Amino acid sequence: MDHDLVFFGELFLRTLSFWWVIIPAIFIGLIVGALPGFSAANTIIILLPLTLAMEPEIGLTFMVALYASSRMGAGIPAILFNIPGTAGAAATPLDGYPMTKKGRGQQALTMSFVASIAGGLFTTIIALVALPWLSQVAYYLHSVEMIVIMFFGISLIATIAAKDTLKGLIAGFFGLMIGFIGADVVYETPRGTFGFLELYDKVPLIPALVGLFAVSEAFVFIEKRQIVVEKDQGLQMTGWSQTIEGLRIALSKWWHIIWNSLIGLVIGVIPGAGASIASFVAYQQSKTFSKTPELYGTGHVEGLIAPESANNGVTSGTLVPLLVIGIPGGATAAIMLVVLQYHGVTIGPDLFMQYPGLAFGPFAAMAVTYALMILTVLPLARYMSNITIVSTVYLAPVIISFTLVGSFVPRGYLFDMNLALVFGVIGYVARKTGYHVAAILIGVILGPLMEMYFLRAMKMSMGDITVIFSSTIGNTLWLFLLISLAVPYVIEYRRKKTILPGEIEE
Amino acid sequence: MFTYLLMTNVFIKKSQVRLNRINRGESLVTKKNENIDTERKSIGSELLLPVAALCFTIYYFSTITDVPWTAQVSAVIVGSILILLVLLFITRCIRSLYTGEGAFNFDTLLEPRSFVGKRIALLALTIGYIFAVSTLGFTITTFFFLSLAMLLLGGRQKWRIILTLSTILTLGGYLIFIVAFKTRFPAGPFEKLMEGLF
Repeated sequence: MDHDLVFFGELFLRTLSFWWVIIPAIFIGLIVGALPGFSAANTIIILLPLTLAMEPEIGLTFMVALYASSRMGAGIPAILFNIPGTAGAAATPLDGYPMTKKGRGQQALTMSFVASIAGGLFTTIIALVALPWLSQVAYYLHSVEMIVIMFFGISLIATIAAKDTLKGLIAGFFGLMIGFIGADVVYETPRGTFGFLELYDKVPLIPALVGLFAVSEAFVFIEKRQIVVEKDQGLQMTGWSQTIEGLRIALSKWWHIIWNSLIGLVIGVIPGAGASIASFVAYQQSKTFSKTPELYGTGHVEGLIAPESANNGVTSGTLVPLLVIGIPGGATAAIMLVVLQYHGVTIGPDLFMQYPGLAFGPFAAMAVTYALMILTVLPLARYMSNITIVSTVYLAPVIISFTLVGSFVPRGYLFDMNLALVFGVIGYVARKTGYHVAAILIGVILGPLMEMYFLRAMKMSMGDITVIFSSTIGNTLWLFLLISLAVPYVIEYRRKKTILPGEIEE
Repeated sequence: MFTYLLMTNVFIKKSQVRLNRINRGESLVTKKNENIDTERKSIGSELLLPVAALCFTIYYFSTITDVPWTAQVSAVIVGSILILLVLLFITRCIRSLYTGEGAFNFDTLLEPRSFVGKRIALLALTIGYIFAVSTLGFTITTFFFLSLAMLLLGGRQKWRIILTLSTILTLGGYLIFIVAFKTRFPAGPFEKLMEGLF
């Protein structure tokens, strides 16, 4: 299929016709993003029964719009109350909150919105333009290469996203083993099913998703109790002039927005390296190359723009590995993969041929979402300074009940609700003890795929296991995998050697 | 590539130091001597998941002994790596117990201890919800679950708000999921009673 301007024009118009889904998703995303500790992934899981009932294209559009706007929403409490809505906005209060304290809260919100919208829109268009070329990569990847890529994805998540590489690897490989549960496709032998007939057809992904993300998070949520914030002087509602001034200042830093959103895009493409890492990397490099690094942390415009444009650049980046090679880079991408698999859509080069609307659709949806945010969210900056954060403790029961019932929907088995609870307990233990929950889920998703590729490779090689080292691309990837695993240890070793006795690391 | 990974990792480590502090609710303003972590690792809690993974892998291996090699190979490779990783982790834990960096307890999992009772009660309510929903249906069970769980977590003095909120959320869920989108939620007396209306 020729992806020319006409194709993209039609795609945008088609996506725009889903405005009735995008606009509510923007507002839902903005609200949930602003709730500290409540992730967009959770909201998507609560609304999963709706998403599954929709056409896959509309369901994906809804999820993408909610995801993009929640990223922006997370900056609101970070700027106004020094409480990041999600870890992705953890660098935003460094300069955002001091601006609020100086009475420039409305301006800071406007600048954050402009950086988010412009950064997100720019990187989405870049990703969309690059996608036809990137999709060609999948043609060079066969069974052997896909096996290595899956191991590479798990190890990258363990190295980058998890706080402890060894724990991250254990989480990822445990997920893979869970993904192997079920009857094997050739001989129909049940493996690891504990005698449950419901597990013969592999572990159903939606209960796993509900348990690992929603139920476990709800149980952690109740410990956070409630957050009630008093309004301070910086939150007074002023006229439109503050919004216009914020808009002017942010647009004058257009180059900064573009550069930092590109950093976000590149980091977003790496599995496991999410918005939290991108925002700190952007902040750090912005400060390093600034002529006035001493102003960072005191309410400096560039210190606010850098993390906000970077964490919105990540949103499009995380979708690239998902759509090109079928490896989800993070939690939200994993949820999207589950929804696509539910509808029987297989990710890979064929997706771009068979379902171009689905392959390019998420990026078009993201671009349209950011464009619609200019009209819907930007004018709200003036009123958002009136927001106060209230008790969030009531959300836990809502998450538990609605998501558990959601896990019942796809197959109509009561067993799936029990399974979701079991995964909830696993997820809770993982969260409390520092194991990466997304690594477990991605393992569960990739397990059956990895098994399929292993089976194909074994058939090709007549059962010779050394086939996994038989391809040049595969061997290069093995090498990168080893390097990526070794680098953190090398750095740690060098760091320990260079730290002088008595010196304390920042 | 190596340099890029190296640089990224340095940034990431710095990011993680900050993120950890945010998660612990600490200020981002740095005071150098505040960073000394005097807490000992809770080894018992940290071992729970690896031990579960190890037990599951051994059980999985026991179920594939009779299947042909091609159906075993992926599990054998991944399972063997997992066992190796778990053994490495256990060795690390034993070392930290020996050096005094860790203590064999379940503190990380149980803290904050003031919430242990509420966690258990919420888990019991959740199990009750799963069993009741197949008989009573989505609407009735969800209403009771939301009311009881919110009373448990939010305090009995707010019962009016809680009952109102539970009613609105349950009816909202019923109207959106069951009436508007015809989602296959568990049906009970309420859903059957309302079937004629919608």
